Amino acid sequence: MNSNGDRGQNWEAQLRKGCLEMAILASLWHTRLYGLEILRCLSEKSDLDVAEGTLYPILSRLKSEGLLESEWVEAEAGHPRKYYWLTGAGRARAKDMATAWNEFAGKLAVLVQPVAGGTQR
Amino acid sequence: MTSAQLTDERIDAYMGRLDDALQKLRPSDREDILREIHAHIVESTAGASDRDAALDRVLRLLGTPEELASRYKAESLLTRASRSFSPWLILRTCWQWAKLGLKGTLAFFIAVFGYGFAAGATASIFLKPFLGSRIGWWSGPEGVGIIIPAHPERMHEWLGNYFVPVLAAAAFFFAVGTTQLLRWMMRKRQPGLVPVRETPAPWAR
Repeated sequence: MNSNGDRGQNWEAQLRKGCLEMAILASLWHTRLYGLEILRCLSEKSDLDVAEGTLYPILSRLKSEGLLESEWVEAEAGHPRKYYWLTGAGRARAKDMATAWNEFAGKLAVLVQPVAGGTQR
Repeated sequence: MTSAQLTDERIDAYMGRLDDALQKLRPSDREDILREIHAHIVESTAGASDRDAALDRVLRLLGTPEELASRYKAESLLTRASRSFSPWLILRTCWQWAKLGLKGTLAFFIAVFGYGFAAGATASIFLKPFLGSRIGWWSGPEGVGIIIPAHPERMHEWLGNYFVPVLAAAAFFFAVGTTQLLRWMMRKRQPGLVPVRETPAPWAR
């Protein structure tokens, strides 16, 4: 693999890292979800493939920071599930992050539009 | 032994290792983590046509029990340490963080240097009354810094009567500066990722 490929992968990883917390909080905006549902939601709605070994420690930290609350529920399938939802502080943080993201992404989109569109000088 | 039994045994072995690796966490937190990870493994593999292959995949995505435990411990410690002023807690956290990557390693070295200097300066202030003319900020053939030279007559001491106030101020600023810098680094950190992709990104092919 060439060095451009390495840098490209590293850049993508950094981008994903930066978005992860916001994406997790956003996935819980409308409803409460358990770990596996959060993973599926991130993968299906944002193409953000997150490994379980990454997600669960972050959920634990977000809970200890008071951004999430959780509850164990005995599911019909027989597996207990730990459901997470946003607290008031979590909703406020998610809203702040989403606002900052929209402003940044909107401005950056203008800049990269010619690159993505393949417009020649 | 059937294939299902073998799979269950692998799950039990993984959970046993995770339990061992999480020993330093509070028992209630540990039990909660174990229950959640176990539930995740069971649900992820239930109903799979090849349960053993499904288990391989989920265990790969969780990482080894030791790696997973390190992530939990680091996240837990980093949250506490980023709000704390305890050098001991911050140093312990940096050690745990260093196991997860380069930024943590850098933080650990900053902690060792910053707190090490502050501790050395503080110790030298307390030793000054006992070692009087021998302890100081020396420069000469035996080196530069806070040292106790074997031959003080060949060295030059720079601080004289200002040794104690200067060292006290330096120790204070190093301790506070190191603490604030590391707290900032901890607040600005991004979570470590367990790799998911088995194929390279499109531009890396």
